[in-house]
Amino acid sequence: MNGRERFFAHLRGEAVDHLPCLPITMQFAADLIGVPYKEYATDYRALVRGQIAVAETFGLDYVNTMSDPACEAADCGAKITFHPDQPPAVNESESLLMDKETLVHLKQPDPSSTERMSNRLKALSFYKEQVGGQLMIEGWIEGPLAEAADLRGINRVMLDFLDDPSFVRDLFEFVLEMELRFAKAQVDSGAEQIGIGDAAASLVGPKIYKEFVWPYQKRMVDALHEMGVSVRLHICGNTSKILEGMGKLGCDIVELDSLVSMADARETMGAEQILLGNIDPVRVVRNTNPDTVREALEESHREAGHRYMVGAGCEVPRDTPKENMQAIVDYARQHSPDRWEESR
Amino acid sequence: MDLQPLYDSVLIGDAKTTRSIVEQALAEGVGPQQLLDDYMIPAMDEVGRRFEANEYFVPELLISARAMKGALEILRPLLADSGSQTIGRVIVGTVRGDLHDIGKNLVAAMLEGGGFEVVDLGVDVPPEKFIESIGETNADIIAMSALLTTTMPGMKTTIEALESAGIRNNVKVIIGGAPVTQRYADEIGADGFSDNASAAVRLCRDLVNA
Ligand code: B12
Repeated sequence: MNGRERFFAHLRGEAVDHLPCLPITMQFAADLIGVPYKEYATDYRALVRGQIAVAETFGLDYVNTMSDPACEAADCGAKITFHPDQPPAVNESESLLMDKETLVHLKQPDPSSTERMSNRLKALSFYKEQVGGQLMIEGWIEGPLAEAADLRGINRVMLDFLDDPSFVRDLFEFVLEMELRFAKAQVDSGAEQIGIGDAAASLVGPKIYKEFVWPYQKRMVDALHEMGVSVRLHICGNTSKILEGMGKLGCDIVELDSLVSMADARETMGAEQILLGNIDPVRVVRNTNPDTVREALEESHREAGHRYMVGAGCEVPRDTPKENMQAIVDYARQHSPDRWEESR
Repeated sequence: MDLQPLYDSVLIGDAKTTRSIVEQALAEGVGPQQLLDDYMIPAMDEVGRRFEANEYFVPELLISARAMKGALEILRPLLADSGSQTIGRVIVGTVRGDLHDIGKNLVAAMLEGGGFEVVDLGVDVPPEKFIESIGETNADIIAMSALLTTTMPGMKTTIEALESAGIRNNVKVIIGGAPVTQRYADEIGADGFSDNASAAVRLCRDLVNA
């Protein structure tokens, strides 16, 4: 069974040789092949080389296109700072939608011609050539709130919820359309699954989540399913209070950060939801040792049950010891979905 | 005059009502210190409690902080005139290379709400800038935030820079942010750590009273 087969078989609930393994790596991947992060984020050849290197060195079941949250915002015309060896970042003090009026005139970027989105599309075609049929190829888009925050400024959008709800809805409409166009272009270029990153959704409570964020996430997930791909939802941070909504989105995979109880998520989301995670990327993955990593995964797996995939709570940090990264993959290799008590 | 609505309006983050009650109360002769100590600061304490208890989230906290800030703009000159002092001056900033500022902003807002004067240096703040700011503001406390393990060492570097500048003993240093721990604070010789914004206020109160 190759990684792609394993992944899709488990997704469909069919027998697999062992658990699929899908930790997120970005800076770790760039470091592994020794390219400065700016290159990794802006040149698809570096991205593809880094992802394949991680997958092959350690034995992951997939590759993806994520590098930083500023991709779409950059192509809308937002000011981005490109640090030499750090992720590009949106400049919040000069955010594109500092003035709300700007939204009215904002044009939808065309993913096939704008700089950063087209770079991601090239990565996907390149993956198809290099590892198509062997590893699952995952594309990536920003969720409604994460992208709204990139365009408007995260501190500003938090107040907009309470000050100007109709602006927030207009902004989310814009974002939804943009992300779905981007997703469609990714699917056309070879993405077999789309991940949605909506980090900022962990910062709002259940009320705002349900009223504003959830309906747009739901439309996003439904539209992605119509494109014929599976969906991974990634919300980092403490999502304990919004688990119920997350479970009702109908995502194929819900990835949880370490601040959430896997047991609670299982109880809230029901027996069939595939859960992924959720060990502490910093305190465990980066700072401890293979034994502790294995024990932490064992606990996540036990609490999640057999509808489970292996990963960290969020991005594997850049200075993670290689043996700890290997321990994540080894856990997956040594366990079938319904066996968490003992190693084989 | 019944001032309970002042407490309530800060708690729900209604900036307009907060300002107008403050103005009306001042016109009726209520002292600015009393407004602050008996209603506004207790309201912000409650905001902090709710945030810690997962009843309030980032938007609610930011909007209460904004109501507080608006009213403080009216009160601050009066407090200065009446000779009453702030309980302390705190420089806050996210360390070099780090752009995460939500937590730092919440800490700044809660400190301000708690009666401190806050000098916010923003994000990506190098050690030199912290030091320069001490010279300019005569602050009692430096509060540094870091959310990345790769930028955390900036806290240590800043403390070292304070030492080489010979001013380490003039200020207290507190640190925080998701990856930071009490152990790390002890290791680098910081004077305090907390993992949330309202505990940061208690921490600063203890430090200025010590
Ligand atoms: C929002 C967010 C972002 C936003 C930041 C927007 C902004 N303006 O702040 C954006 C999208 C820009 C971003 C970018 C990145 N991020 Co980020 N981000 C987060 C996220 C989801 C939430 C952070 C947050 O605001 N939390 C809410 C606040 C309220 O909590 P807090 O900051 O901890 O603050 C509280 C306490 O810690 C305390 N406190 C805070 N400061 C202080 C200071 C003092 C003195 C005291 C006493 C207390 C105190 O009080 C606060 C309130 O109670 C976290 C995920 C998570 N699990 O936390 C990742 C996270 C912090 N990010 C992470 C990473 C890796 C990045 C990027 C490198 C990602 C990338 N590859 O692009 C970039 C780096 C950019 C840079 N150079 O800084 C990692 C850090 C891993 C690590 N430790 O190294 C995290 C943990 C996610 C993960 N991988 O697990 N991020």
